[in-house]
Amino acid sequence: MKKTILLLLILSFSFSGCEKDDICDANTVTTSRLVVTFYDYNNSSVEKSVSNLTIIADGMEEGITYNGSTLINGSTVAIPLQTTAETTTFRFIRNFGSTNPAALPNEDIITFNYTTENVYVSRACGFKTNFALDPITPFVQTDAATPDLLWMQLIAVRNYSIANENETHLEIYF
Amino acid sequence: MKHILKSIFSLFFLFSLFFANAQRKEAPKPKIKDTVTVNTVPAKTVVVKKDTVIKTDTIIAPVKTDRYGLRLGIDLFKLSRSFYDKDYKGLELVGDYRWSKKYYIAAEVGNENKTTDDARLNFTTKGSYIRVGFDYNGYENWLDMENIISIGMRYGFSTFNQQLNNYKIYNTNQYFGEIPPVTSGQKYNGLTASWIEVVAGMKAKVFNNVFMGFSLRFNRLITNKQPNNFENLYIPGFNRTYNGDFGVGFNYTVTYFVPLYKKKVKPAEEVKKTPKK
Repeated sequence: MKKTILLLLILSFSFSGCEKDDICDANTVTTSRLVVTFYDYNNSSVEKSVSNLTIIADGMEEGITYNGSTLINGSTVAIPLQTTAETTTFRFIRNFGSTNPAALPNEDIITFNYTTENVYVSRACGFKTNFALDPITPFVQTDAATPDLLWMQLIAVRNYSIANENETHLEIYF
Repeated sequence: MKHILKSIFSLFFLFSLFFANAQRKEAPKPKIKDTVTVNTVPAKTVVVKKDTVIKTDTIIAPVKTDRYGLRLGIDLFKLSRSFYDKDYKGLELVGDYRWSKKYYIAAEVGNENKTTDDARLNFTTKGSYIRVGFDYNGYENWLDMENIISIGMRYGFSTFNQQLNNYKIYNTNQYFGEIPPVTSGQKYNGLTASWIEVVAGMKAKVFNNVFMGFSLRFNRLITNKQPNNFENLYIPGFNRTYNGDFGVGFNYTVTYFVPLYKKKVKPAEEVKKTPKK
């Protein structure tokens, strides 16, 4: 009798679930990118699509890839921030490579200032980095080295904390 | 890992089958004893009817005694691993005390210092633990044999600290390239955990009072004081933790039995058993 109880105990122990924890699940929220949404400056409640926008980080040759392309067409983009620094500068080039006189390339430079925090996720995923944009000067907008006027009319921070990609962190009106 | 666990389980179930078999062997045992006495008794008194022989058998049956005492030893696996694994230092002392014919009070105390090098994390765990519980010997020994095939339970408690040596940041976006591991050195002190174990084990007398044994353990955490911004991925005495508060362990022991007193096995027990079969 005692033995059957013990055996049952072992059974309950052994079936108590061994979950796979060696591979980091793709659905796990890890280091998030800065989500930017573009709006129409003249009608601020309407999202506006950018055309052939390329975003290149300082010191990089290639632009960031979003949805499999370095040329961004659409009203949202997610930008990776450097986890090893507290500032990352990007060149936002609109109409990249265009020779059409009606839509010539225009470059604006934005430097993001933030603090990082490394947060434990799991054995398989290790840590992730959460960013918090500087509350006083979250970003600095400047014109290109060869001035071509600013194409972004207004930049606003929606969320200072960057811990997931489900929400917009930055709004750009043009 | 899953496969390893699976094989451990199947091994364990196989092991539990032995229990059943060991129990069933009980029945034929007295029979064999009978034949032994039948052979010896007629040598003395030749003209005796068979019926009377069986009667005298119960009377002159050799007095069986069980030895009671303390068994002390060491876990050879932890000891040997300390020599070949530079990331591991550990020692476990084991002991049990025979409480009754079948029950043993058992305990293990140990200390571990282990550096775990995972794909994304590298950390060092240091701490001590104690496990207290009982073993139930399901093996019916013949004559003066003292082997044990047991099943038991333990309550384990561990006090330890973790030091995170380095870690990697998980970033699905590789625009800035692979980032080298971040050196941390962060220490998390004053951590504790407690758990329940189900133990299946065996011990065999190799010579005199020296026993060799091994045990398999299935653990389940009860309490676990987690560090802030890290996790107890390894707990001394409990071993690696899995997502579901679940763990496994084993030890391979050599023990020395210190006999303290002897107890006669009541012959009444044997009389009872004979009519059964």
